[in-house]
This record gives sequence, structure tokens and C-alpha cells, in this order.
Amino acid sequence: MASTLPLLLASLGGPFDAIHLPPDASESGWRIDDMIQSTTVFVSILFVLMVIWMVWSVVKHGPMHQALFDHGADSKSWRWTALVAALIFVVVDGDLLYHSTTFMHGVFFDFAGAEKKPGAVRVEINAHQWAWNARYAGPDGKFNTPDDIVVLNELVVPQGAPVIFQVTSTDVIHGFNVPSMRMKVDAIPGTVTRMWFQPKDTGVFEIICAQHCGANHYKMRGTVTVLPRAEFDRWARVTSVNAARAYDPKDVEAHWGWDWAEHSRLE
Amino acid sequence: MSTVVSGVIPYRPAQARGDDTAWLGMVIFLGSWAMMFAALFFAYGVLRLRQPSWPPPGTPPLPVLLPAVNTGVLALNAAALQGALVAARRGQRGRVTAALLLAVLLGAAFIGGQLFLWSGLFREGLAFEDGSLAAVVYGLTGFHALHVVVGLLGLLTLLPPVLAGTLNAARHNRLRLWVMYWHFVGVVWLSMFLLIFLL
Amino acid sequence: MTAQEAALSRQAIEALQPIHHPPTSFFRRYIWSLDHKVIAKQYLWAGLLFLLVGGTLAMMIRWQWAFPGQPVPILGPTVLRASGGVIGPALYMQIFTMHGLIMIFFAITPILIGAFGNFTIPLLIGARDMAFPWLNALSFWVFALSQLLVIGAFFGDLGAAGAGWTTYPPLATNIGTPGSGQTLMVAAVFVTGVASIMGGINYVTTVIRLRAPGMTYMRMPLTVWGQFLTAILNVLFVPVLGSAALLLLMDRLLGTQFFIAGAAAVKGGGDPILFQHLFWIFGHPEVYILILPAWGIVADLLAFFSRKPANWYKGTVLAMSAVTVLSAVVYGHHMFQTGMNPLLGQGFTTLTLIISIPAEVLFLNWLRTIYKGSVRLTVPMLFALGMVFVFGFGGLTGLYLGAAAPDIYLHDTMFVVGHFHFTMAAASFLASFAAIYFWYPKMFGRLMNTRLGKAHFWISVVGITLVFGGQLLVGYAGQNRRLWNPFEYDLFKPLQPLNRWTSYAGFALFFGQLLFIWNFFASFRGEKAPANPWQLGTLEWSVASPPPMHNYDAIPIVHRGPHELSDPALMAKLGRDWVGQAEEVPPDAPGATQAAARGAT
Repeated sequence: MASTLPLLLASLGGPFDAIHLPPDASESGWRIDDMIQSTTVFVSILFVLMVIWMVWSVVKHGPMHQALFDHGADSKSWRWTALVAALIFVVVDGDLLYHSTTFMHGVFFDFAGAEKKPGAVRVEINAHQWAWNARYAGPDGKFNTPDDIVVLNELVVPQGAPVIFQVTSTDVIHGFNVPSMRMKVDAIPGTVTRMWFQPKDTGVFEIICAQHCGANHYKMRGTVTVLPRAEFDRWARVTSVNAARAYDPKDVEAHWGWDWAEHSRLE
Repeated sequence: MSTVVSGVIPYRPAQARGDDTAWLGMVIFLGSWAMMFAALFFAYGVLRLRQPSWPPPGTPPLPVLLPAVNTGVLALNAAALQGALVAARRGQRGRVTAALLLAVLLGAAFIGGQLFLWSGLFREGLAFEDGSLAAVVYGLTGFHALHVVVGLLGLLTLLPPVLAGTLNAARHNRLRLWVMYWHFVGVVWLSMFLLIFLL
Repeated sequence: MTAQEAALSRQAIEALQPIHHPPTSFFRRYIWSLDHKVIAKQYLWAGLLFLLVGGTLAMMIRWQWAFPGQPVPILGPTVLRASGGVIGPALYMQIFTMHGLIMIFFAITPILIGAFGNFTIPLLIGARDMAFPWLNALSFWVFALSQLLVIGAFFGDLGAAGAGWTTYPPLATNIGTPGSGQTLMVAAVFVTGVASIMGGINYVTTVIRLRAPGMTYMRMPLTVWGQFLTAILNVLFVPVLGSAALLLLMDRLLGTQFFIAGAAAVKGGGDPILFQHLFWIFGHPEVYILILPAWGIVADLLAFFSRKPANWYKGTVLAMSAVTVLSAVVYGHHMFQTGMNPLLGQGFTTLTLIISIPAEVLFLNWLRTIYKGSVRLTVPMLFALGMVFVFGFGGLTGLYLGAAAPDIYLHDTMFVVGHFHFTMAAASFLASFAAIYFWYPKMFGRLMNTRLGKAHFWISVVGITLVFGGQLLVGYAGQNRRLWNPFEYDLFKPLQPLNRWTSYAGFALFFGQLLFIWNFFASFRGEKAPANPWQLGTLEWSVASPPPMHNYDAIPIVHRGPHELSDPALMAKLGRDWVGQAEEVPPDAPGATQAAARGAT
């Protein structure tokens, strides 16, 4: 998707080469990118108009120009101002409002749709200072059972299927954030929040904590590795078997999972 | 020359103007405090609605009788202060003094009642750390009690001018302002009683 | 109402504001002064000092991002000796926390609201002082106490506050940031809130009760409107911050659990998000508290130095009032990521976009004011135009953040930081300087150097655009905020050069302020200022520079609005393009009464 701002900046070269959105590896991320791009076009036009107007007024209507004694309060005048404001609102804000609403309703909150898709993967995230604990249900489909896969920081997900997250924290608020999937949600102690995305491309993508959580917030890093479906299934099978073998029923702290259904209702 | 001058503030005696200005300041001041207590009640609402059951498991139920008695004490206090104001407008120095002293006594009784309430809750095992309920009960009623103490000190500062005669029928704005404050404190307590202890 | 009634009314308002003998002791003149003009200067000194501290902290942040892990010059060998001159992760979070808190509460607030609110309100409405001068003096000393608490926080046993200026629990409780530094800062915020409320009560009461005869609400300079509406917001919403701070202090000091959840919760615990609600119900109005005075001042300055009336004065007043009313209902856009109910999120998105309409109206009014004017590029005018530029740009970047969907990507990135630095920091900063350069002659009785002022302007505006523009760009590329070393992440490694260049611009911006510091102090011995150096009609220019303690020998009677500039009929009669708000114009020529009637709207 051609984007105006990076093209403009690329022409400047040097340090501006890096100014572009991260590669979008998700099914729906393009919608967010489009919103950002179209808003950029609008605000750039408005900004340029504003600068031209200001420079004109200062240069052409400088000290030699006789000021016009106009309060701008007659109805023709104030209606003009109100009309322009309304026009900008309808076009720019309206466009944004429409696309944001359809995205939130149709994608972000569509947990029901995501859960129904075959092959959807469910992951419980328990953030803490300063790492990401992730738990998969394993073949039995239930969380907090011996076949659960529990990983630290290094998530693995399949290409082409929804990956649904229920997220919490044990200590302070963290931000579970995967920029390459254009998705993030806060990890809040005492609450379970949710998000989902569907990976489109394979690869390794960073998880970057998006809420100040203490001294090591800057290196609360994780990865999401997107594998082709068959490879993911193989990984899940093998890891689950190993997990069941290493399961220790006495390690209560490791059984931090929760019942998925309790938090999967749509409000 | 009679040019029309629009928007001129109408003429009123200086003393009344000064009193009205102070009154407006007090109204705004109380509006500010009302917002603070509103925020505290909002906090209570959020915390309570988040708990599956209230009082949360493991916390003792809250008493009703003692807070109800205390509400009555504050109501009497409000009546006493209103009486003081009426008496001040009529210039009845003796009555004003008596009413003020009564109000101080009732206010102190309220504080005593609150101390009794808190020590009772403590003995039942409700520590500061015990979740939302403890936080709300101790936090909100404690903060309110601080306001009552400030109000008591304010009433005490009124006694010398009353006795000296400088606070009289013509000049009693300070009393008016402190009575406004006390009515505010009373309404806040009533709300706490209804929302925290009865509901 | 006739002129006789006006005279009676003036008599009444004179009786309400008797002229006192000026105090003679040093204590009563400079320490505990009841004169709003002295209190204004006290706030100005206090604010400028902490602006320097806040700016230094910003330079440390920029140093860390330009040269991660390298020893800091000047400050390294002195205050950072313990760590070998290097800023470590724990110190870094204290630096950005203190930077934010200091700039908002202890720099911009005392300068724009404490200093310029105090200085301008009584003078511009034709009063001798505030409604409650004793409360006014007290408010400054309570504020000074809060600044002492800030200084104390720097010496906390485990360092200064470190939970970000937003102070979110549980990080801001003993779980996340134990120690006296964080506690002292929360207390400092509470105490400064008390000072703000005291000031707010004074400003609101003064504007309502002490306007001179004929000074209707619709004839007040927009500067006063800005301060009035800000004071209303202060009075209503600072108490909400106070409640959040109070409950957090209880959690830290008494062990209560208002905001604690997760593993540390007892008997169900509390709710960390409750804090966010309380904080942002204050926090969003707070950004309007910081900008309304700037809007008012700039609207006036643009008219003054275009030598024509402000365009659609009533529209600007309505717009500023609408923003005031709407300010609290948009607060949820700071909390889009907390898993809020979809309907609620939709509501906040819609309202946030709606609140841009009144902002657009007053912005368009600014643009139409300078159009077809006679623009004089004085130093205050340059700073006012600069403010229009940065606020226009910054306001536009708010669109991306107000809608829930793009905010998913942009939340917690440097894009947010760039947005609020343009709209809040840059705009308030430039408006503060506009105000200083504009009222310096009236405050100190001297003229500031124009050449230095213009140089200061250019360095500031260019520096601001580069630094905060740099923040927007790296935020667009995804760089998160509050990271000690952003380049730990592969995604952000390529952004290091741009971060370094942004830092260079930051250093230039910081050192460029030396031009101002020199000008400010050297001008104390500069050319003496006449009563009306800018040739304007608002009331403060009708008295000496600086004014006597009682401001007005006789309370003025106002006949017209604040921007009656370039009225052809009056120009012909008076031989100048300005006329005083309280000026008696001889009614002999028919044009004069017509003009007075026109101006009397």
C-alpha cells in the first residue's frame, strides 16, 4: 500500500529512511494503516493551507496595509467560519469516525467470530515484571491441565488462523503489544483483558511492553513466531507432550491459568 | 449629558457587596469540595460494583445503629447552627453563644461516635489492608471526620467575636459562611450513611 | 442605565475596593504581599526556575537517546557521580517522571495561570486587586510549599518519583515504587492542587464580582476569558486529582487497597483502573486548563498586532466555553487500551472528535483576525503566531489519537508524546513567552530588547518543530515511550540516527533560551517603558508602567470592547488607530456615537 508520508520522507534520505510503519503481518492491520494514511493526507492539506494563509496575511497585509475594521460578527461572516469548521469536521473527522467504528465493531470486538473459526488458537498471557508468561491449552482444550504448553517470552502461533489472547498481570500494569500485528492491550492485575489477531505472514515479530512497568520496562521483550499451520501443529504436539512429562502437581505457582470461558463472553 | 452606559453593575451598599462576594467565594469553595467527595463516592461505586458480593468475603458486615445515631447527632448540630444564625440576625448575643457551644459539643460527640465506630470495626478484625471495604469505610469516613474537626476549630474561632460583640446583627458574615460549611459537611455525612452503611 | 447611575455604581465599587497605604516593610512588600502584581511576580520566578529544572531533565532524556549509556556532560561529574556520570534505567524513569510532573504542575501552571492570571485579571477588568487578597498570598506560599516537597522528592531514600507523570498504580504504590521520593511527589501534587483551587476560587469570584462599571462579560479581553474558564475547570476538577492523590497516599502510607490488585490483593483488593478514571477525569480537563489561558492571550495579541478587532469575539467565547463544558466527557480516550466496554469506547471516540469542532472555530477566528489586518511583527506577535503554528499542527495530530482504532497502534508510542508536546508544551511555552514579552513593560517598567527577542523566537520555534516533529516521526514508526534504551528492540534500531538528530535540535532549543534569560535580566536596567508602548486600548495600558499599588486612581467606566482598533471614524477624530476601553470620546461628531454604539456590543 503506497503511503504518502514515508515516500515524502524517503526523498529526504538519511535518518528519515527508517520512518515508516512496521511491516504489517496481520490480516486486518491494513485497515489501521489506511486510516492513518488517509488522515495524514487530510491533515497535510489543512496544514499547508494554514501555513500559506498565515504567510500571506503577514506578508501581504503587513504594516503598510490598512487594517479592515471588521468584527466578523455579522451573520454572513460567522456563518462562513461555522461552515468551514463543520465541513472539516464532516470530511476529516467523519471519515475517521466511520472507519474506526467499523474496525472496532467488525474486527477488534469480533471475539465471537474469531472463536468460531476452525483452527483458532487460544493463549493466556500472564505478564509480570519483566517477562511474558504464555499458556496454551494443549490437546485437551482446557487451561490449567498437565498438557498445557507454557512458554516464557517466545510465543509460537500459526499462519492463517485467529490467535486469541486473554491477558492479565500479577503485579503492575503492562502493555501486551505486537506492533507488526497492529494490536495491543493492557495487562492489568485483577482483570482479564482480551485481544486477537490473525497472522498473514510467517516470520518472527517482536512483543514490546507498552506500559511503563518499572526499571526494566525497556527490555520487557518477547517474540511471536508465526509458523505455517502444519509446522505449528507439530510444535504444539511435541511441546505439549514434553510439558505433560515435566508437569509437577506440587508447583502451585506454575498453575496460574484460568478457565477460558469465564472471560470469553462479549460484554 | 445622559449617554446610555450598558452593563453597569447595580448599586448596592458596600457592606452587603463585600458579604455577597465572600458568600460567592464560599459557594465556589464548597463546590470544589463537593467535587472531591463526589470523586470519592465514585471510587466507592467503582470498587463496590467490581466485587461479586458486598461486603466482600472475609469482611464483617457494617453496623447501622451507631452511624444512624451519629447522623442524628449531626442533624441536631445543623439545627443548633441554624438557630445560631437566626439569633445572630436578631442580635441575640446570649442565644448565639449558647447555640454555638451546643453545636461544638454535638460536633465533638460526632467525632467521639466515629472513634467508637472505627475501634469497633477494628476489634471485629477489619484492618486497613482488608481490601476495598476497609479502604472505603476508613478512607471516606476518616476524611470526612477531618472536615468535622476543621469545622469545630472554625466554630471555636467565632466565639471570641461573639462574646466581644464584634459579631452582631449587622456583621455576622463569618458565622453565615461557617454555617454553610457545616451544612455541607452534614450533607456529605448523610450521603455516606445512606450509601455506605445502609445500602 | 444613565451616567448618573453609572457614577453611583462606581461609587459603590470604589467603596468595595478602598485604596490602602502601600506597605513599607520588606516583609510586607516582597514576602507576604497582598498586591496581586507582586504575587504574580512571585509565581513567575518560581515557575521560571522550575522551567529550567524541567528543561534540564528533558536534556538528560535526549542525551540518553542520542548516546545511550554514555556519561552525561556537566551533570555527569557533578550530580551523577555515583553511577559514573551515566544515566541508568532506574534513574531514567525518575528523570522522565519528574520532567513531566515539574513541567505541568510546577512550571507552566505557575507561569501561565499563577503569574499571568494574577497580573492580568484585576488590571484588565478595571479592579484594584483580587476579591480575596489574603487568600491570594496564601495560595502562593502553599504553592511554594509544594515546590519544596518536589525538591525533597529528589533526595528520597530510593530516588525521586519514578512511575511516570501519570503515576498509575500498582506501579505507583509500594509494590512498584517504594520509597519516600514517590510519596513526596504525590503529596506535592496534592498540595499544589490546593494552591490551584485557592487561586481558582479567587479568579472566578473576582471576574464575577469586581468588573468595572461597563465591563460586561462580552467586553472583557479574551485573556480574561481564558483565565476565567481555566479557573472554573481548576475549581471543579483539581479536587478529583486530589481524591486520586489522597487515595494513593492512603495506599502508600496506611496500607489500604484502593488500587492494589493481582498477587498483592487482600480480601478482593481494589481496582488499579479506578485510579485511571479519577486521574483522567482530572487529566483531560487539565490539558484545557493549561491551554485556555494561552488561547485567550493569543486571541488578544493577534487582534492587537493586526490592528483590528478579534474576528467573531462571541464565537471564540462560545467555543472556549464549549470546550470547557465538554472537557471532562472525553477523558476515556486515555484509557482505550484498558479493555473498556465497546459502547463506552465508541462514546468517547465520538465525543473526542466532536470537541475538535469548537477548537476549529476559534482557530479559524485567529486566522481571520490576521487576514486583512495591518500585521506588526513585534516580538509578542511573533510568539503568538508561533503558538498558532504549533497548536495547529499539534491539534491535527490529535485526530489520530482520538479515534479508538488508530489509537491501538499509536498508544504509548512517541506519537502521543509528540502530540502533547506540540499542543501542550510548545503552545503553552510560546504563549508564556508571548505574555512575558508583552506585559514585561507593564510588570517591570522597562522595555525588553527586540533583536534578542526575535532571535529567541526563531531558535525556539525552529527547535520546537524539529524536536517534537522528531518525536512524532519515530512514534509513527512505532517507537514506544518511556524506554531507557529503545534500541534494545530490532524494530527501533534503525531509528537511532533520527533520535540523535532530534536530540541535537533539543540541545539547540535548550541553549537558545539563554538569549531569553540574558534579555530578561539585562532589561531590568533597560530603557524605561511608557504607559502604553504597544498603543492599545485595554485598561492596563491606561495606567503607568509599572502601575501604582492600587492600579487605578479612579475605577474606570468602560464604554467599549477590548479590540476597537482601526475604526475609521475614531481614527479620523483621534488621529490614532486605537482607543481606550474607558476613554471618553467627545460626542460632537456623528461618527463618534455610531462608533461607540458599534463598539458597545
